[in-house]
Order: sequence, then C-alpha cells, then structure tokens
Amino acid sequence: MSNTEGFKRHGSNSYIAEFSQSEREILINLAEQIIELLAERVDHGHEDPLAAMVGITSHDSPPEDAVLHRLLPNAYADDVDAAEFRRYTESTLRNKKQAHAMAMRMYLKSAEDNIVDIDHDLANAWLGALNDIRLAVGVRLNVAEKTTEDLELLAPDDPMSAVYTVYSWLGWLQETLVMALMDDAGSI
Amino acid sequence: MVKTADKIEEEIAAIFSGDSPWVTIVWDDPVNLMSYVTYVLMELFGYSKAKANELMLKVHNEGKAVVSTGSREEMEHDVARLHEFGLWATLQRGDQAL
Repeated sequence: MSNTEGFKRHGSNSYIAEFSQSEREILINLAEQIIELLAERVDHGHEDPLAAMVGITSHDSPPEDAVLHRLLPNAYADDVDAAEFRRYTESTLRNKKQAHAMAMRMYLKSAEDNIVDIDHDLANAWLGALNDIRLAVGVRLNVAEKTTEDLELLAPDDPMSAVYTVYSWLGWLQETLVMALMDDAGSI
Repeated sequence: MVKTADKIEEEIAAIFSGDSPWVTIVWDDPVNLMSYVTYVLMELFGYSKAKANELMLKVHNEGKAVVSTGSREEMEHDVARLHEFGLWATLQRGDQAL
C-alpha cells in the first residue's frame, strides 16, 4: 500500500513522514470514524448537571458494541468495582481518545502538503489514535480468533481483505513511529 | 457511602502498614505491537528500555504482567493512563491470585 518510508526522526523533537494523498484521506476517514463511534456513547439521562460537570457519567456497565468495549475496557475483574470506576472515569477516557483522533485529523486536514512533521507530544497523540483505530479494526477482523495466515489468505474479493490491507499498513506505520521515538528514549 | 468509607479505611490501613497492596496488570492483546507496549511503559512509568522490554515480554509470553504497585488510588490512575493508550489493563489487590 505504501511506497513511503514511514516516520523518521529529524533532529531532537521532530518526526517526519510523507504520505500519498490516498493514505492521508484514509487516515482522516478512520480518525473521523473513531471520533463518531466514541460520540455515539452519549451520556443519557443526566439528572444531576453537577455530576456531569465533574465527569460522572450515567454509564456503569460496559458498552455492548464489541469495538467500544475494547476501547473502553473494564478496570476491575469484579463487576461492582468495574461499574463504579467506569461511572467516574469513562467520560474522561472517551474525551482523551477523541482528543487523540482529533489531533491527528486536524493535522492532516490542515496540512498544505502530504508531509507530516510532528513533535514528541503530538506523536504520542498520533500513536494513541493509530492504536485505537487498529484496536477497532482488529475487533472487526476478529484478529483474536484468526491467525495471520488466515487473514493473509483472504480472497481478494472478500471485503475483509481490503480491511486487512489497511490494518497491516497501520501496524507498519505505527511501528515506524514507535521506532523513531525510541531512538530518543532508548538512550536511557 | 459504605463503599467510600471502606475505601478510605483501606487507604488509611495501607498508609499505616507501609504496604503497597494494589497492583496494575497488563494483559496480552493480539493487536498491540510489542514495540508499542514497550514504548508506552517507558513513557508512562519512566522505565528504562530494558525494564519496559522485559515487562512487555512477560505480557507476551505469560499472558500478563504486573507493571506497577502502589495504593489503590495510584493504581486506578495507572490503569486509566494505560487505557488512554489502548493497553488492556486492570488493577487488583496484590495478594489476590493473578
């Protein structure tokens, strides 16, 4: 899918990649899907505006949708503890994940060319967003149940084959960004 | 409110006993890249590359690893940060079976 080299480190706080126009559009589109998916998990029935203000949500059970469940997992094995933790923290977690995807989307939308040049903090937001996208696509591909071989042998006319191509490309892209970042951190 | 009172008592007990009775566990996940898990552990906990890599390999090979230890409140904070970056994490009492 890609004829570019992925992310490379330039200087002390700059990570650069060049995308094709179609790659850029795919990333924007996927980021938007994550933002929308998280927005679907709205907080119904707030009777207490003060609770809403401090981030307490009406949700104490995990999302039924498998993708949302993976993005917003339980923090405790125990259901009662998990429910209480979720009530106090889920909206914050959703906001942070949306912020990561929005940061990536906004950069790609406003860039004048297909070259991406991001600093360490923005790179971390990109990593979070790329990872959330891969988690979401991974659930749809059912990677937990399938082997890499199963996925690579999908028939070309199977719609999941194209999805797997994007999934693999995202993994490769994320890996190049992690490697570029570890160039810095690895010296510890 | 009983729940909250229990929690406070627990925290107080932990402070006086000097124990760090809670742990954060990261679970193996088929999607997350090995390099990414190592990087997130370095970023969030300030671990060296060697230590983060060792923990990542434990997650990968054994299915799970304790990545931090401390009070319940601290572990809730750690789990929230790990969830923000998409790692599959839970917290529990340190003396509970993993």
